[in-house]
Amino acid sequence: MRALTALIVTVAVVVLLARFETEPPRTFNPNSALGPVKTPRALAKPIATPPPRRSGEGTRSFLGPAMTTPFSAIQVRAFFTGRKLTGIETVLLSGDGPHTEALNARAEPILRESALEAGDADVDVVSGATSTSEIWLDSLQGAIDKARRRG
Amino acid sequence: MGMPVTATVRDPGFDPRALDAAFAELRAVDARFSTYRADSEVSRLARGELAPGRASPLVQEVLARCEALRKQTGGAFDAYAGGALDPSGYVKGWALQRASELIDARELCLDGGGDLVLRGGPWRVGICHPLEHGRLCSVLELGDRAVATSATYERGEHILDPRTGRPARGVLSVTVTGPELATADAYATAAFAMGAAGPAWTAGLDGYEAMTVLEGGRVLCTRGFTGRSPRAHVVVRAKAA
Repeated sequence: MRALTALIVTVAVVVLLARFETEPPRTFNPNSALGPVKTPRALAKPIATPPPRRSGEGTRSFLGPAMTTPFSAIQVRAFFTGRKLTGIETVLLSGDGPHTEALNARAEPILRESALEAGDADVDVVSGATSTSEIWLDSLQGAIDKARRRG
Repeated sequence: MGMPVTATVRDPGFDPRALDAAFAELRAVDARFSTYRADSEVSRLARGELAPGRASPLVQEVLARCEALRKQTGGAFDAYAGGALDPSGYVKGWALQRASELIDARELCLDGGGDLVLRGGPWRVGICHPLEHGRLCSVLELGDRAVATSATYERGEHILDPRTGRPARGVLSVTVTGPELATADAYATAAFAMGAAGPAWTAGLDGYEAMTVLEGGRVLCTRGFTGRSPRAHVVVRAKAA
C-alpha cells in the first residue's frame, strides 16, 4: 500500500506531461507549432530517481509503458524490494523545444540522492531533537541526580 | 508542552523585554492546548466534556487544520494517532509561529526544541545527525523560513504510524523547510510515518522542501532543498566559547 502511494505520486507528475498512448504519434500534431515528435531514443545513461541500491535478491523491476505527448516521450522502470517501491529509473526521455525542457525539468529528477555524512560546522542554530531539548533534559537529569545525592 | 524555547535576536539595541508578549502567548497556548493539564480545553474535549462545536475559535482553527492535514497525508499525520485527541504535533509549531509574530525584530530565530522560525538572515542551520550524537548531517543557509525535523534519536521516543499504530520504520530523520512551521512539522511527521514512501510524497509538496535520511544511510532531497555537506565548513569553536 505504501509502495502504491509512492507510485501514485510519481505517476501524477508524469501524467502532467503525458497522455496515455501505446506508441508515439506517427503524424503531425495539428495543434502543435513544434512539428512532429522525434523518434524517442534510449538514454545513454538512465536517470535514476532514486536509483535502486542493488538489484540483487528480492528486488524486481517493472518497465512502464512508453508514454508520449505532442512534445515528448517518457518511459520509466520501477524497482520493488518486497512490496516497497525502492527506485525509479527513467529509461526513455525525449522532446523538443523549451516547453518540453521546462516540463521535463519539473518532472526529472524528482529527488536528489546522496550518502549520509557526519560533520561539524559553525552554525547559528541546530534543527533536530538532540539540540536544545536534549541539553535541557541533560540539565534536568543533572539536577535530579544532584538532588538525589543530597537527598 | 515541556519544551525549551529560545529566541535569538540580532537587531542592535533590541530590548529583551520585547520578548515578553511572545513568551506570554506560548504560556497561554499551553494552558489552552496542553494534554498534561486536566483543565485545558483540549483535555475537556478529549474527555467529551466539551463539544467540538462549542470550543473556542482558536481550538476550532487548530482542529480544522489538523483534519485538513490528516486528509492531505492520507492519515500519516493524525491528531488522534494515539486514540484520544492530541493535537500537540501541530500546536507546537503553530504556537511558535504565533509567538514569532509578536516579536518586533528584523533578525529573529525562534527555536522550540529544534524546530525553528527564522526571520531575516540568512541563518546557518545545522541538521542533527540521526545516528552520531552531537554531529551534523547537513548545513542550510536560510532566511524567512521555518524548519522542522522529525527523528528517532537514540534516547528519543518512537514515532508511531497512525495508520498501523506501530512505530514507523525505514526512516531515520526527515527535515522539512517552508513558509509556516506547524505545516512543516506536520509534513515531517507524516513523511517519517510513511517510511520508504515518504521521500516520493515530499516531492509533491507545494512550497515545502524536504530531506529524508533513510535507514542504511541514503539521503533523499527534494529539488529545492539546499543543504550542504557539514564537512565543507570549518569549525571555529574557540570564538563561540
